[in-house]
Amino acid sequence: MVNERVVTLSIPALPEYVDLVRLTLYGIATKLKFTFEEIEDMKVAVSEACNNAVLHAYGDLSGNIEVTFQTLGEELVITVKDFGKSFVVDESKEAPVMHGKEIDEIQSGGLGLYLMQALMDRVEVKQDGGTAVTLSKKRLASEETA
Amino acid sequence: MYMPMEKLSLRTEHTEDRTIVHIGGEFDLEAASRMRAALNSLIEQADRRITLDIQQLKYIDSTGIGILISLAKALHARNVSFDVVHIPSHIRKLFDMTGITPFLMKPESSI
Repeated sequence: MVNERVVTLSIPALPEYVDLVRLTLYGIATKLKFTFEEIEDMKVAVSEACNNAVLHAYGDLSGNIEVTFQTLGEELVITVKDFGKSFVVDESKEAPVMHGKEIDEIQSGGLGLYLMQALMDRVEVKQDGGTAVTLSKKRLASEETA
Repeated sequence: MYMPMEKLSLRTEHTEDRTIVHIGGEFDLEAASRMRAALNSLIEQADRRITLDIQQLKYIDSTGIGILISLAKALHARNVSFDVVHIPSHIRKLFDMTGITPFLMKPESSI
């Protein structure tokens, strides 16, 4: 039987609050016995989703970002939702942007979505009165060490 | 004991042959403007080899990685030798994933 549990956090859409999301994620993922590496991966992916909302959702207006952490068995499903104008997630889905390139050819932007996809098992973007990014990761290592 | 982590620490050290910038803490969107300003002044004054020591760096995301790419490009354009040393493994993984490792590490510093 899958026991579903939900934690919800709402933060102002400002850069200095994104670390609260990482701290909360750390607490929840530790409870679920994710490994250090898995937690580090999720921290980056979730921050990328929050960064997008901070940068693009509300323009000069203020607004909030709602982050939901849902536990489904061994899977953690994190949804980052804003209630601002929908923005185009304009980043390339193409694999490693820099690989095999010369330094003159590389670009400093557009890595956010790529990292989310590379670090999580599943990434979904929905736009309906704002943008909701859902990120899922299953715990791999079943270390039952007490 | 709980130790509140300093959000972002920056310390510049001048040795005989190079300038070493030690970056610690969290290099994220919140730290971006401060880092951009610090690294821009570093670029303007760059007349010798520059090394970033990130041993104490706890966290970086695409914002920080983007700023490192801009730094590498600007220094390359000025023919200033640049490398990043003491890269923690979870951060190295992100550098490898995005393909920027070759622009940050010289063969002799690949430890």
